[in-house]
Amino acid sequence: MTRVKRSRALSWLCTLAAAAALVLVLFPVYAIIVGSFESTNTLFSGTFYWLPHAATLDNYSTVIHAQSANVVTSLVVGLGTALLALVVAVPAAYALSKYRLRVTVIMVSSLLVAQIVPSIVLATSLFIVFHRINLVNSYPGLIIADGTYAVPFAILVLRAFLFSLPNELLYAARVDGATEWQTFRLIVIPLARSAVITVAVFAFLAGWGDFIFALTILNGSGIEPITLGIYTYLGNYSTDWGAVMAAGVFAMVPAAILLVVAQRYIASGLTAGSVKG
Amino acid sequence: MTLWRLTSRRKEQLAGWLFLAPAIGYLLFAFALPIAYNVTLSFEQTSPATIASLTAPFAGLGNYHFILNDPTSRKAIANTFWFTVGSLAGQFLIGFALALLFSMRFPGRTLARSLVIVPWLLPLIVTGVMFRFLFQLEGGAVNQVLTGLGIVHHGVDWLDDPHLALWTILIANIWLGVPFFTLLLYSALQDVPAEIKEAAVIDGASPWQRLRLIVVPIILPVIEVTLLLGFVFTVKVFDLVIGLTGGGPANATQLITTWSYNLSFQQFSFGYGAALNNVLLVLALVCAPIYLFLSRDSLRRSSGADR
Repeated sequence: MTRVKRSRALSWLCTLAAAAALVLVLFPVYAIIVGSFESTNTLFSGTFYWLPHAATLDNYSTVIHAQSANVVTSLVVGLGTALLALVVAVPAAYALSKYRLRVTVIMVSSLLVAQIVPSIVLATSLFIVFHRINLVNSYPGLIIADGTYAVPFAILVLRAFLFSLPNELLYAARVDGATEWQTFRLIVIPLARSAVITVAVFAFLAGWGDFIFALTILNGSGIEPITLGIYTYLGNYSTDWGAVMAAGVFAMVPAAILLVVAQRYIASGLTAGSVKG
Repeated sequence: MTLWRLTSRRKEQLAGWLFLAPAIGYLLFAFALPIAYNVTLSFEQTSPATIASLTAPFAGLGNYHFILNDPTSRKAIANTFWFTVGSLAGQFLIGFALALLFSMRFPGRTLARSLVIVPWLLPLIVTGVMFRFLFQLEGGAVNQVLTGLGIVHHGVDWLDDPHLALWTILIANIWLGVPFFTLLLYSALQDVPAEIKEAAVIDGASPWQRLRLIVVPIILPVIEVTLLLGFVFTVKVFDLVIGLTGGGPANATQLITTWSYNLSFQQFSFGYGAALNNVLLVLALVCAPIYLFLSRDSLRRSSGADR
């Protein structure tokens, strides 16, 4: 075999291996989509069908009926988490990258350590504290809690990005008489746009997908995001599989949309070293 | 005199602090306060009635004594250990293999790379129920494939066999973490200079030698950070297990996180839950100094404006 032929064979072998890996990666997602179109009878028949068997939209009508309000709740929580992350993180990242403050090293160390703290530790205490100050079962309470996923990550990613902004731009703005706030709002924010979008996308997904804080801080009646709705369907002894899977598909929609429209922001956010959970 | 000094030093300091103020407030309220309160709680004898009042009678080390002697808590700690070790090993080996694969030139690599991150984007509770569906005894796709291929004669009870269930959550968590490892290691591999690899080829190094003696040492810092972040992620896992097994059967998949939730929010023993939380926090924070050390370059880079 010639060298060229061999390398071509090798590259097709790689394609094959990548395809096999992708099947393993994507199959669970495919299975839940197929399952969401199956009737309850099929789902309890003891056979998994590789293609929808007697496809039905019953599960979706059940879920749309029961979970529409929860989808809206999840959207509000996701957007709220993104907003909180941006309001807190963008100015902080600017201060930590472009100002000489004595607190910088302590602050950045704290942010790195904050990413390590398990959510269950925060949830236990936040539940009792929120109980005391009437934030249990409320949007602000849940969004503040969900911010713990997003804020440290957002500050660190934005800070790393802002280092790449030339200081000359900031000097020029000051020479032209811009105040500190004007420099931040008119120069820094527009130039940091791509990093800001990355951070917002991740914060939204964190708020949208949060389960642990919803489970603990919304302990009771009131608002319920879609993740909690799925958990309710699981039940203790019998699982309403059709509804679980249709709701699961709903819960995957934002990720799917963002994967298509914000692909490059997601890839750059992941490599910036995200920790989720 | 630099241009910077045209604005007064004090004004700079004030502006910096103001930009930082929301973040400091947030960190104090959402991190420092709960962590401190969790420590207090772990020394208190709580009851459902004391939750409303924020304070409870002092319990000394009672809660810790309970946690360290409670069979389920001990099991949860042991499970968390094996779950973490197994996850990191699986995620690293598969993630690294895929990263090497994606570094090759082949048709469809861009598409493959963008699709491989899908698991990372899904809500974790969805991943949990997804695997619960796949691993069902009856009508689960996994058993159907295994029996179809003749690997097993009867379906395997992935979820309800106490000897197997920990493996089941391990498999699901590996699936979940592989994209993260793949992407980070892949981007590190892109930074290995091509000249060095070519030089090694000319010197007659085998692919394995090139990998072990050249590529791995160069990307070692990234490997360290990735393993560390993977560790942090895995000790926190909660949603996945709740969705998949709920900690059962017979606590076979109970992790520190799920058992802590059970103690606090289902048995309303917040004192026990807080004590177990602190065990988890100590385990997680063991790696904090390592993380800070690995991030030292970013830490030192504390001044941008006046260099």
